[in-house]
Amino acid sequence: MSVNAWIIVGDQPTVGSLITVARSLGGPVGAVVAGPRSVAETVAASDVDKVVWCSAPDDVPAEACAPAVADAIAADPPRVVLSGRNPSERVLLGAAAARLGAAVLTGARSVSIDGGDVTVVNAVFGDIADETVAVSGAVALLLDGGPVPPADGGGAPIEEVSATPLPLKVIETRMHDFDEVDLNSAHRVIGVGRGLKAKEDLAMIEELAQALEAEIACSRPVAEGLNWMGKDRYIGSSGAHIAPQLYLTVGVSGQLQHMVGVTGAETIVAINSDPNAAVFQQTDYGLVGDLYQLVPAITAALK
Amino acid sequence: MRIVVTYKWTCDPEEATVGADGTVDWSRAKAGISTYDPVAIELARRLADAAGAELIGLTAGGKGAGTPIATKAALSRGLDQVVIIEDESLQEAGRSELAAVLAAAVRRIGDVDLVITGDSSVDVAAKMVPTVLAGELGWPAVAEVTAVTGQAGALRVERAIPGGVQVLEISGPAVLAASADAAVPHVPGMKELLAAGKKPVEQLELTALDVPARSAVMTVTGRARPERKARKGQLIDTTDPAAAAAELVTALRASGAL
Amino acid sequence: MDFELTDEQQLIRDAVREFAEAEVTPIATEIDRDHRFPYELLPKLAEMNLMGMPYPEKEGGAGADYVSYVIAVEEVSRACASTGIILSAHTSLATWPIFKFGTEAQKDQYLHDMTSGRRLGAFALTEPAAGTDAAAGTATATLHADGYALNGSKMFITNAPYADVYIVFAKTDPERGARGMSAFILEKDTPGFSVGEAEHKLGIRASSTPPVYFSDCRVPKEALLGGEGDGFKIAMQTLDGGRIGVSAQALGIAQAALDASVAYAKERIQFGKPIATLQAIQWMIADMATEIDAARLLVYRAASCVDNGRPYSTEGAMAKLFASETATRVAGKAIQIHGGYGYTESYPVERNYRDAKITELYEGTSEVQRMVIARSTLR
Repeated sequence: MSVNAWIIVGDQPTVGSLITVARSLGGPVGAVVAGPRSVAETVAASDVDKVVWCSAPDDVPAEACAPAVADAIAADPPRVVLSGRNPSERVLLGAAAARLGAAVLTGARSVSIDGGDVTVVNAVFGDIADETVAVSGAVALLLDGGPVPPADGGGAPIEEVSATPLPLKVIETRMHDFDEVDLNSAHRVIGVGRGLKAKEDLAMIEELAQALEAEIACSRPVAEGLNWMGKDRYIGSSGAHIAPQLYLTVGVSGQLQHMVGVTGAETIVAINSDPNAAVFQQTDYGLVGDLYQLVPAITAALK
Repeated sequence: MRIVVTYKWTCDPEEATVGADGTVDWSRAKAGISTYDPVAIELARRLADAAGAELIGLTAGGKGAGTPIATKAALSRGLDQVVIIEDESLQEAGRSELAAVLAAAVRRIGDVDLVITGDSSVDVAAKMVPTVLAGELGWPAVAEVTAVTGQAGALRVERAIPGGVQVLEISGPAVLAASADAAVPHVPGMKELLAAGKKPVEQLELTALDVPARSAVMTVTGRARPERKARKGQLIDTTDPAAAAAELVTALRASGAL
Repeated sequence: MDFELTDEQQLIRDAVREFAEAEVTPIATEIDRDHRFPYELLPKLAEMNLMGMPYPEKEGGAGADYVSYVIAVEEVSRACASTGIILSAHTSLATWPIFKFGTEAQKDQYLHDMTSGRRLGAFALTEPAAGTDAAAGTATATLHADGYALNGSKMFITNAPYADVYIVFAKTDPERGARGMSAFILEKDTPGFSVGEAEHKLGIRASSTPPVYFSDCRVPKEALLGGEGDGFKIAMQTLDGGRIGVSAQALGIAQAALDASVAYAKERIQFGKPIATLQAIQWMIADMATEIDAARLLVYRAASCVDNGRPYSTEGAMAKLFASETATRVAGKAIQIHGGYGYTESYPVERNYRDAKITELYEGTSEVQRMVIARSTLR
């Protein structure tokens, strides 16, 4: 069986969307797993035809299996190789793309194989435009991995390979003593931007968040430049991409790098004093005014 | 020890405009060093100072990649010298093509112990060039790197993982992609800015580099404005904040958002 | 004639702007409100090599051209006019006389420390009864066996008492008027030297400008800068350059006021539209932008004369005259555009307005500048 699409899997089996895309292309679907055996088993139980598991010692991170992953894929070269966006998966996809000489696309909205070419509609430049791209040869796609795929009754065979890993190993893991927030599971999120003048003003946002039962997040400049919030709370091209029921922005100008992280939100509300702020091009409800008056007013109205 | 740090001279899509037909107009955008590259340079400079290493900047791109102001802007941030590949054919280069060119340049520079890159470029934001570059070189790659110490062949790398930090040991050359908040880049001082123009600059001809031919060929066959989820675009009068708040809450309850 | 900035000048502008926004802007309102000298900025300015920018590298400076220096002063002043004058008085008024007239020994002792920003400088010429008429100063310097004894008082001394090094002008020969004036280098802890109460001013409130007093204050013979009787000439030549620094400060104040007005005009809705759509506002903005641009060209031209070794006395006077009066006009229009809000402390334009006026007064009043320009034009 000659695999048409390979899926690369790291430490987590969150590849449900990748399997769906791979299946839509027709042809056999394989998965290469560089993670614990349990992940290989979960994937094998789902809708894939073949699983190669790169086993490695416990203190070896998934990245160290990059050559083994590339070898497995090159042994049965596909038209398309896909992975999720986790840092280790990006490394493995990069290795596979280099080995295959594949074109790499990271903003695919749709993929199909027509005749000789793989056709991809690819969002470019922070999602400001779409390009339709035809690729002759192999394509490597970086996509949102999606949920853990359900078991589908069958069970693909797991082929174990244990190649020499690259010379890197984990020597220490330090977990934070606070819980990082999972913005992806929040139904409502409040986004804080530069319009908030002082860190003390976050107290006002906290009150709104409680009344709204929402998580608090921020656009990049606040998180990085000013350290008001941890990295786990920023939304944007280099942070989280979320699709909550409600995204309420406070003092956010609506810069591309931030808004690209929330295009999937059901409802977007914006509060900003500048009527020309870009954010108002992308809102369902816009309030042009002073956030220091409007935020407490909304908190009160919710109670 | 020899460290290479990659950088890109490019425009922020924030300043670009998109026509109805999907073509992107960059004419009013001001070019600069891509936002996260100074973070990588800062991280690399600190390691170079601690390890007594030389720090070489590397960039590859289309027309403009090697303009004097771009080169000085990069050098002023702490590089010892730069290597530039400027070729029109790279204007529309895909991620893997660019990575292959950078890999060829790293091989040409020779004796490189470490390549540090930024998290992603401000315009393309693919996060893939460092990983494909590592694949081309056959080296380990680690992303979301927040700290790096050590010497050639014995690097200690900290990287962010969900909920914490992991420390890795790498015994060999590697490619590290610095996380966007790994360091706050210092603002170049007047002496650094004025010294930049005097540092060594080497231009490499693309045709003279040994870049393996790509087996996949990518052609753009169409452009369009993206279909955005249609937004109501409703503005609520805020003359009376309490009334505006009430109107918003009512509307959100009615639409099911609350 | 190339009106474009060089690569270095553009990069310098961007870097100083970034520095100013990160380090100066966040404290600008507070230090003005509290009349507080921003002592903590001195090492940061020094680290950016801003304190001795136009001096040669071998003297510890950054070796920057004068155009780059005025760009830097403008960018710092745009964030905070007080910080702008702290920097400019140190670099143009206090450091320059040592650079230009100092002996090797004096340069060894002071120049590197000042160009590196390790020691802060001040310029002590003005007296209670001698401002524009500087030659009428009554501070004296009497020669004794062990040095000179300074007696008298000076007023409005920028950077006192934080400065470590003071250029002091006093009469070694009171009978000879201007030709009897000499210049001295004084260190701050010299016995007989004291600093008076802080002066509370309308603007540049974070700039410390107290009076200073000399009471049998002994300085060694080696403290004489230049020769006896050279003091007035040293002072006037120093002010020729200093006024270019002040003109850059005025530019920064004006630009800040314009930037605030543009942002406000786009935001403020009246009659259902942003006021930026109203012609009255548009014409004010147009005038402000044009005057600032004209001022900037005069400032750059004066700075270019310095760089090209050409005379710059008249050119500096024109730049200072025009830029300072522009700053006052633009800041006034800025408050007008902001309406009632512009009159409150919630908006930055009231500070721009209060800061602007001093640029018409110090380092030579506008009347002095007109005298210089008229004399040169009527020759």
